[in-house]
Amino acid sequence: MKLILDHQTPAKIRNPKKHHHYSFKDFFQFEADKGTIVDWNDAQNILATEDFIIGLVEGLEEEVGEASAAIMYTIGCEWGQKDAFFFEKWFEKEFDRPVRQAGLMFLLETWWWPFTAQGWGRWEVDMSDRRQGFMFINLFDSALARTLGDVGKPVCHLYAGLFSGFFTEMVKKQLGCIEIQCYSMGETYCKFLLGGQERIDAASFWLNEGATAKDIEKRLRSGELK
Amino acid sequence: MLSQMQRLSFNVEGRYATDEELRFIPEYLKTYELRLQTYQKLQEIEQLVIKQLLEKIQAQDPSVLRSDTTDLTSKWKRDTLLVWRYSVAAVLMDDADTLRDRLLLWFETIVRAFNIQKACYTTYTGMQDVVKQHLTPQQYSLFFPILDLNRRSLGNGGQ
Repeated sequence: MKLILDHQTPAKIRNPKKHHHYSFKDFFQFEADKGTIVDWNDAQNILATEDFIIGLVEGLEEEVGEASAAIMYTIGCEWGQKDAFFFEKWFEKEFDRPVRQAGLMFLLETWWWPFTAQGWGRWEVDMSDRRQGFMFINLFDSALARTLGDVGKPVCHLYAGLFSGFFTEMVKKQLGCIEIQCYSMGETYCKFLLGGQERIDAASFWLNEGATAKDIEKRLRSGELK
Repeated sequence: MLSQMQRLSFNVEGRYATDEELRFIPEYLKTYELRLQTYQKLQEIEQLVIKQLLEKIQAQDPSVLRSDTTDLTSKWKRDTLLVWRYSVAAVLMDDADTLRDRLLLWFETIVRAFNIQKACYTTYTGMQDVVKQHLTPQQYSLFFPILDLNRRSLGNGGQ
């Protein structure tokens, strides 16, 4: 049986072009009789507990050991790529213009808002190094890190993959992403580096050597790996 | 008020509310008459405030209403009116939380995306001065916290 997902809350019926629709009541439509939660963009949502997240991460680690980080990253990449297509569709429907005609920062904030509403955390994009071919994303309240707590290593591989997949699709250029600071390492927020693979590999090497996010930012900004 | 009611209904599930938990209701009722008056007054002066605020900004810092060669006046009017109407509703309902959840948290990120914090700071600081002339001190004391929340959220970093 195919479910028809159609968000029909009073807020959307009254004003389907309303852009500030991210409050809990506006964004989600709970259909108890169908057992669905449909968001403003007609996507089906599920509720997951912190136990689910712990089970997913620890279960995967038990199955594949250290490769679990790469698997989570790959899952994130595929999710990000698919979401880029989904985003293009709903953006065009909501704003009556293609994504490529919108300002970049506006586009990115608009992309991330459903994630914020869904509990994936708030973000801040730092594009000041865009011309050098890399950028940073700060993530506050990562669902993975806040659930797993201080485990002494980065845990947000799913997010890194999500950013890589989405940005790769949007700019049509292969971009990698790595978490260089994580709430699960005792920091106050998570920080990701997005850029070409050689920079991501270098950051990964520096991280293993004990570099902090600040060290990595400094080395990249000073032109190492130009 | 609505947010507080919702929280109350959630918190007291399966038990009786304490006097402390119910205190906001008589406090709201005590201010209801003044809230209603203020709400009606703000509705009445809406267009006048927007007009006077626009004139004030044009005199003080016309760059707020331009981006390169584009005239942003009609966008400014639309956005200012949107914030105004949510703010006026927040006064009536005594519910800054709803204003923040439904509009400001989102709008703040959009303001940053367009790098217009300075314009918002000028707008929402100016709005306080303009509105003050039209309200009694009691009415203004109800509206001021909302206006200040707008200025702090949307004008953050634009000083």
